[in-house]
Amino acid sequence: MTTIETTNPVITEETVPVWNGKLSIKVKIAGAGAPLLYLHPAAGLAWDPFLSELAQTHTVYAPEFPGTSAGDPYAIHAVDHLSDIVLIYEEVVRTLGLHKPVVIGQSFGGMLAAELTAAYPQLASKVVLLDPIGLWRDDLPIANWIATPPAELPALLFRDPSGPGAQSMLAMPDDPDIAAAATAAMVWAFGSTGKFVWPVPDRGLRSRLHRLTVPVLLVWGRDDRVAPVGYVAEWQHELADSQAVVIDDCGHIPQVERLDQTVTAVEKFLS
Amino acid sequence: MKITLFEQAPYRYLPDDFEQHHQSVCTTPYSVTNRDGVYSSIRDFMDELMLGARTGFDGIAVTEHGQSSYDMVPNPDLVASALAYQTEAEGLDVAIFPMGRSLGKAREPVRVAEEYAFIDVLSGGRLVAGFPIGLHYDASVNNGVPPIEIRPRFDENLELLLRAWRDQEPFVHNGRFSQYPSVNIWPRPLQPTPPVWITGIGNPRTMQMCLERNFGFNYLSWFGAKLTGKRIFDRFWEIADQVGVPRNPYRLGFLQTIAVSETDERAEQEYAAHLEYGFRKGLGSIPPEMLGLPGGIDIRGVQALVKDPGDFGLYYQMKSASFRELVDAGVVICGSPATVREQLREYCSQYGIGTLHAMLGFGSLPRDLAMKNIQLFAEEVAPHLRDLWSDSEHRHHWWPERLGGDPTPVTPGATATEGAPTRTTTQKTAVTV
Repeated sequence: MTTIETTNPVITEETVPVWNGKLSIKVKIAGAGAPLLYLHPAAGLAWDPFLSELAQTHTVYAPEFPGTSAGDPYAIHAVDHLSDIVLIYEEVVRTLGLHKPVVIGQSFGGMLAAELTAAYPQLASKVVLLDPIGLWRDDLPIANWIATPPAELPALLFRDPSGPGAQSMLAMPDDPDIAAAATAAMVWAFGSTGKFVWPVPDRGLRSRLHRLTVPVLLVWGRDDRVAPVGYVAEWQHELADSQAVVIDDCGHIPQVERLDQTVTAVEKFLS
Repeated sequence: MKITLFEQAPYRYLPDDFEQHHQSVCTTPYSVTNRDGVYSSIRDFMDELMLGARTGFDGIAVTEHGQSSYDMVPNPDLVASALAYQTEAEGLDVAIFPMGRSLGKAREPVRVAEEYAFIDVLSGGRLVAGFPIGLHYDASVNNGVPPIEIRPRFDENLELLLRAWRDQEPFVHNGRFSQYPSVNIWPRPLQPTPPVWITGIGNPRTMQMCLERNFGFNYLSWFGAKLTGKRIFDRFWEIADQVGVPRNPYRLGFLQTIAVSETDERAEQEYAAHLEYGFRKGLGSIPPEMLGLPGGIDIRGVQALVKDPGDFGLYYQMKSASFRELVDAGVVICGSPATVREQLREYCSQYGIGTLHAMLGFGSLPRDLAMKNIQLFAEEVAPHLRDLWSDSEHRHHWWPERLGGDPTPVTPGATATEGAPTRTTTQKTAVTV
C-alpha cells in the first residue's frame, strides 16, 4: 500500500490482484469507519470533494475500472463481458475483505453498482445511485456521450457548465504534454467503459433489478441531459425498497454540481 | 507500376447548401434524394468502372461505406461481383480490387470469406482482397460494434477468413466474437494465395502489421498528399526498415483524386465545382468525432494526435475548402495530361509508390465528364507511368498471378490491436467431421 497524498483526507492506493492473476485493480482508499465502495463514472475515477466528504464518516474504497488506470490501459482487453465485470468487482470486494459495504455508483458506475448488488443481494448494506444509466426507453433516450463532440460535453453533463463545480471538473492542466495525456486517458476511459454500454446502454438490467432488495437511494439532477429525470420512476418501479431525491438546477453529476445537497441527501440516507 | 481506377458512388444531386444543414454519414436524411438521382448515380458509377476495365487499367477498385451519401456502396462485393462477371465475359485482364469488406465491422466473417472466394472464381483468379480495419462511424454507429472492439474483431475475423480459404478440412472456430461448429466454405479462391491489402490512414501499428504479415498497404490521401504524404510514407518505410523487409514499392498503394483535361485552364473550368462538391459535402461533412470514437484509436495514438493532428491534413478545413485549397494541399491533382503525369511521376518516385489508385469519378461529376476523365487518363497519363519501377529488381508480390503478379503467402506477425492478449482458442485446431 502506498500513500499518494498527505492532505486531508489521506488517500492510499492498493493494487488488488483478481481474475486469476490477469488483472490488477487499483483501489484508492481514504477515511475511517464502515466500508463504502464507490464506483466511478465512464470518464474514470477523479477523487473529488464528494469522496472526501464521504471519507469523514466511512472508509471509502474507489476501484478503477479495467483500462482506466494510469499505465495499464490494455487491461480492458482481458475482459469480454459485463458478467465478467460483475464477477471481478465481487472479487475485489471479497479480496479487500469489505463486509456489507455501502455501495455508491455514479452514472456508468451506478449501472455497475446495480448489476453488482443485484447479482449478489447479500453484498451491500445500502446502495446509492447518482443519475445511473442502465435502463432504456425509446421515448426517453439516454444521450450517447461517447459519440458526443468534446466541445458539447460540458453542456450535456452540467445544468450550468460555467458554474464552480463544473469548472473545477473541466479544468485542464497548463502543460501541453500533461493535458494531452489527460485527454487521451479520458478518451480511453470512455472507450473502455463503452465496451459494456455501446451501442445502447441497456444490458437487460431491468430483468435483474428485483434481486436488489437492500434499501436504495436514487439521487438525480432534475435537468440531467444524459439520463433524463423520467428514469427515476422507472428505477423505483423495479426496485423493492427505494427512495429518491431530485435536485433542482442540477445536471447529470449532482455530487459535483450540487455537492451540498447531494451530501445532505446521502448522509441522511446512511445515518 | 500498377494503376487501378478507383471510384465511389456519391449521390450527385445534393442541394447547394447541403453541408450547412447535414452530415454526409449516419444521419443524412434520405429525403434529400430522388429516385432518378439515385438510379443514375449508381448506374453511371458502374458504367464508369467498366470503361476503366475496357481502357486498360490494371485494376478496378471500390470500397464500402454504410449509410453514406458520398459513397452509396454498402458492400463492395456487390459491385466487384458484377465487374468480375462482365470483365470475364469480355476477356478483360483486369484485377478486381474490393478495397474493403471492413473486418472490424463484419459480424459474419465466414460470409466475407465466401464472397471474396466467389469473386475470385467469377473473375478467373483476378481478386485482390482488401480488408480495411473499419471506419469508426461505420463499424460502431452503423453497425453497433463497440469502438474498442473494432481492432480485436478485425484481428479475429482476418485469421478466421485466411484459415477458411486455406484449410482443406472443416474446422471449428471458437472465437471471442464468433463461433462456428463447422467452417468449410464452398467455393475456395482459385488463386492459391489471393493478395491481401489493408487500407489505413497512418497508424504505425497497422503499417507494422502489413509489413510483418506480407500484406499490401493502401494510403488514401483524402487529407492532402502534400500535407500528409511525407509523414505517412516516411513512416511506412522506416517501419519497413525496422521490421526488416525490403522497400519494395509495389507493397505500397496510394490513392489520389485526379482530374485531367486538355489544358490546365480547361481542367479547372470543367472540374473545380465538382471537386468542391465532392470534398465539402463528402469527407468534409463527416463530423470529426465520428472518425475518432473513444476506444477506436489506441490511447498512445490519441495522445499523439492531440499534440500533433498533422496526419489529418486539410480535413478540418474541408467543409469549406476551395478548389485552390484542395489543389495546394494535394487533395486533388488537376490539369493537363502533362501536368498530371509529371506530378504523379514525381510523387510516386519520391515516396516509393508502386501501386497507384486513380480516383477519376468524384462528387457531382456528370457521367460524360467522368468518362472523359477516365479516357484521357488511360490514354495520356497511365502509359507514361507504367514503366516507373520496371528497371528495379522488385517483383509485385501483391498482385494476382494471372495478371503478372507473383503473390506470396501471408506470414505470421503483429496484429492490429496494441496490447491485446493472445487467445489460445484461435490457434489451429482442425478437426475432421
